[in-house]
Amino acid sequence: MNYLDLSIADIHAALVAKKVTPLELTKEALKRAHESKDNAFEMILDDEAIAFASSLGEPEEDNLLWGIPYLAKDNFSTKGLPTTASSNVLNGYKPLFDAHVIDVLKQKKAVLIGKTTLDELAMGGTGTTGHLGITYNPYDPKHERMMGGSSCGSAAAVAAGIVPFALGSDTGDSVRKPASYGGVIGVKPTWGRISRYGLFPFAPSLDHVGFFTRYVSDAALLCDVLSGRDEMDSTSSEKPVPHCLEKLSEEKKPTFAVLSDIVDSIHDETILSSFRALCQKLEEQGCKVTYVPFGKEALESIYATYIVISCAEATSNDANLDGIKFGPYYEGKTYQEVMFNARTKGFSELIKRRFVIGSFCLMAENQDVLFLRAQRNRAKIVAKTNEILKDVDFILVPAAPSIAPKLGQSSDKLSDEYLIADNHLALGNFAGLPSVTLPLGYEEGMPFGVNLMGRAFEEEELFQACRLVSDSTGLEGSYYGKEDK
Amino acid sequence: MKEINLDVLHDAAHRLLFDMSEEEYATLLQEFDVLTKQMETIGRIEGLENFEPMTFPFDCTTTYLREDEPSVPLDRDLALSNAGSVQDHQIKLPKVVG
Repeated sequence: MNYLDLSIADIHAALVAKKVTPLELTKEALKRAHESKDNAFEMILDDEAIAFASSLGEPEEDNLLWGIPYLAKDNFSTKGLPTTASSNVLNGYKPLFDAHVIDVLKQKKAVLIGKTTLDELAMGGTGTTGHLGITYNPYDPKHERMMGGSSCGSAAAVAAGIVPFALGSDTGDSVRKPASYGGVIGVKPTWGRISRYGLFPFAPSLDHVGFFTRYVSDAALLCDVLSGRDEMDSTSSEKPVPHCLEKLSEEKKPTFAVLSDIVDSIHDETILSSFRALCQKLEEQGCKVTYVPFGKEALESIYATYIVISCAEATSNDANLDGIKFGPYYEGKTYQEVMFNARTKGFSELIKRRFVIGSFCLMAENQDVLFLRAQRNRAKIVAKTNEILKDVDFILVPAAPSIAPKLGQSSDKLSDEYLIADNHLALGNFAGLPSVTLPLGYEEGMPFGVNLMGRAFEEEELFQACRLVSDSTGLEGSYYGKEDK
Repeated sequence: MKEINLDVLHDAAHRLLFDMSEEEYATLLQEFDVLTKQMETIGRIEGLENFEPMTFPFDCTTTYLREDEPSVPLDRDLALSNAGSVQDHQIKLPKVVG
């Protein structure tokens, strides 16, 4: 047993009892990071992490994050440390400030041991498009299967047991989908719960700060610690900070709605039978599980709605990536040529394609039929989602239609399995609702997950439900290779 | 909806101040074949005229104003430290006017 494998509360108890020190934990996490072969890191901060861990004095008994090693996706600004969002357009950029969540964790004296890879600028769901290449899934040492993204490095690192938690960001499902492929917990709280100051924007009406953990209690703790109004982010909520950890053990018998159209679009019998078994266990514990139709046409339109809105927002958000104020500078005869060269050389093909799609949707001739229509459809989908959540406490669905797909594996982009089962998690982004993916089972040694979504700002209740689900699956705390460490 | 062809895609890319290779434009044009069909899924939804375009999940009102006190938020040299072309404490770009 290594202390790094315990829940944060248990690691904390060991730190307070001086059975282990922050420096020992940090060295173990760094060792594991260097041993990893999954290309999960933009950088490993050996010197900085060891210096910080060494500087910590006496244990702070009332601070559970004191001395806990963690990782951050490389789209969170870190003062004086390179922050690239895995894009060549930001090579060499060193922010002059910390993102809000980095600052909070620094104040809590958690130890940042590195920054993780992502799909370039967080625009992707495969973990294959960052400027350092493919990030692999630790559950597949042959490196044939994807990690999923965009928070691929953070998901891979927690799935490999390198750190107890890692920060990610989620615009469509970028925390919750790789969590499913990596057999870890992936959380996206309510939109506005956590300040996004210092997080590179992709599509601000959909962007959320999220995180990966191995234990429900760790997820509840992080939600409490990271939540709250931040005057540097005008969209952060004034709502009182939740007490998810304190209320985690309150016993409830919640009601769940299973969206039947989503389950119907999944064909993997192992996932379906595990999901049905979970529903049965929840019912045996006194919870009510009801199958509810959402409407197939509405669900099929989620992906297009997401692409139109997110690409359109990204097109304007990333206009500041010009190679002039930051990022590699390329000579030109005019300032437009300087920008043109920086953006042509700095962005990968995928990013350019997404920007062109966004620009196309915003063209005067297309705004009504594409962009505004997508925004109206979003409103309709959100209204339906909230209507369902008036009658039940949570929506419960398989997080993905399969285990992590093989790299290069093509799929029918017009099938229900793709349009519905592979993209439904964006419902949580459309509505801004808190949503958590938890491990559900394994197939061919690869994990798959289940997703829970609750009402806005009701994270306390959501984590209580996560506790129930986690107790039913018995998969809490697992990670790849745990028995070998 | 505007017809999609290579000229439109070139125009869109150039408006965004970047270029792609001809192969990349061709790939994108193919992608639009599928994308157009996916976008038709929104076209099939009825009753959207009854919904206002949704720009954010929730209304969020910010009334915060900082105190009206002078401050220096960013040191000049620090602000310039990430710029690739700097001269005399300013970002240097090609001349706009001859």
